[in-house]
Amino acid sequence: MNPLLRKTLRDQTRSLVAWGIGLAVLVAMYAAFYPSVRDSAGDLQGYLERMPEAFRNLIGGDFTSPAGYLRSETFSTLGPILFLVFAIGTGARSIAGEEEGRTLDLLLSTPIRRRQVLFDKWIAMLVSTAALSVVVGLTIVLIGPAFGLRVPLSGLAAQCLMLFLLGMAFGTIALAVGSGTGRKGLANGITGAFATVAYVLNVVAPSVKAVEPLRPGSPFRWYLEPDPLVAGLSLGNVAVLVGIAALAYLVAAVAFERRDLRA
Amino acid sequence: MTIRQEAPVLSAEGLTKRYGSERGVTDLTFSVAPGEALGFLGPNGAGKTTTIRLILDFIRPTAGSVRVFGLDPRREGVRVHRRVGYLPGELALYERMSVEAYLRSFADLRGDVPWSSVQELADRLDLKLTKRIHELSHGNKQKVGLVQAFMHRPELLILDEPTQGLDPLVQQTFYAIVEEERERGATVFLSSHVMPEVERVCDRVGIIREGRLVTIADIGRLKARALRRIEFHFERPVPASAFGSLPGVKSVSVHGDSVLLSVEGPVDAVVKEAARHPLVSLETREPSLEEAFLAFYDPGQPS
Repeated sequence: MNPLLRKTLRDQTRSLVAWGIGLAVLVAMYAAFYPSVRDSAGDLQGYLERMPEAFRNLIGGDFTSPAGYLRSETFSTLGPILFLVFAIGTGARSIAGEEEGRTLDLLLSTPIRRRQVLFDKWIAMLVSTAALSVVVGLTIVLIGPAFGLRVPLSGLAAQCLMLFLLGMAFGTIALAVGSGTGRKGLANGITGAFATVAYVLNVVAPSVKAVEPLRPGSPFRWYLEPDPLVAGLSLGNVAVLVGIAALAYLVAAVAFERRDLRA
Repeated sequence: MTIRQEAPVLSAEGLTKRYGSERGVTDLTFSVAPGEALGFLGPNGAGKTTTIRLILDFIRPTAGSVRVFGLDPRREGVRVHRRVGYLPGELALYERMSVEAYLRSFADLRGDVPWSSVQELADRLDLKLTKRIHELSHGNKQKVGLVQAFMHRPELLILDEPTQGLDPLVQQTFYAIVEEERERGATVFLSSHVMPEVERVCDRVGIIREGRLVTIADIGRLKARALRRIEFHFERPVPASAFGSLPGVKSVSVHGDSVLLSVEGPVDAVVKEAARHPLVSLETREPSLEEAFLAFYDPGQPS
């Protein structure tokens, strides 16, 4: 393994472990709630009927089946939000963080190309994002059955893969803004704002005619529809998220190669 | 020695970098021969660090070009950086790493750096490898910077304000290491706003002011241009007019039997005139580079 990748992976180990434990605890906690939510589903359903449509879209409508519950509680709300906080933060920090911390100068004074630095940082982000999605999947597999939460393994794997790809899409956008500008705050801000708008857009689009045509612009639409837990992997959706990440990576590579580093 | 005829290790041709309205550098042309040490001397903000960042391809020139070992740092950065040791002016290290982990990862990034050479440098600088970097004083961090700059025995050393924050004892060690590297054949490009540092290390000095190279000269020649103060003590008063019109004399003052002169350039005429009077004693002192430097910065002085 090349030295920069090894160093970057080692640097992020501590925060990755903390994130992994945090995510596992949250997912396990939600799994533990499943039996009581399922048993009071009748009440909940009536409650939901009286809620605005957008809210129902947000949290999903079906709490009784394990897949419906997981989709509502884990994979369409808390899961992607936490995942994106992690991935966007990692992407923004990768180049711009080193640049603002002024450590990038010494790193680039060694015999390593800028594009290699970018690639190693991106691979490190890929490894940690993949590790976290495995943690989410494993937690459900290991803890879920204790609370009656059983879903087909193939569906769960597809869902975790999509979560990983969603993280990589937004993480790479943050990497592109950061390596194009050298500003970590800007990378976090722009990507975070885009993620928020895209999330809200995907939630309200089904019930608001005016924004419905914009829905394909939201990566969340490709992440969630059709439900990977039930329908399995949609190659088209995979292609869209991979495409976003690839395009963002290309922008990052070109911008970083051409740019003056900040003093 | 025919050093100057060899292809230069470092050369700049009309090198220009403009940032909006901010500081930059304009039309720098210079070259550094193999084994030579060139100092860039100027106040903070004059463009020294900008020049270094251009050489290392951290930023790209607006006009002109720079070559290192005859290579374009933009296209052949890896080949250039393999042979260069760099100490940044504003050193930033990975604070959470231990000194050893930090130096090991830089040795790895550089490839084939024998660990013994890292240890030897650390020993000489009295740097403890086990400490975490955030626990180190500024001077000790600077030592970590020096070790990573020297550990691969580079052919070209690019040192930006190298002795900043080093205590005097460590400065001596630093000078000794640079001297050994030079004996080994290394070329040095050093930037500083401290005269003694340049005087100690370099053969030639370029004086940079507001992004322009004001002069570039042998340190000896530069000193020769500086004002030299000479005080003659005669047996009886000698009138100021005896010296006032001699070539090179910038000022004369008479205090009783003494005459105090400021002389630029050769002192021949002054000494011959003094010899015509009964002379008790004379005092003179080598002008420091500092005085030479001030001459360039004093708007009253022609430069």
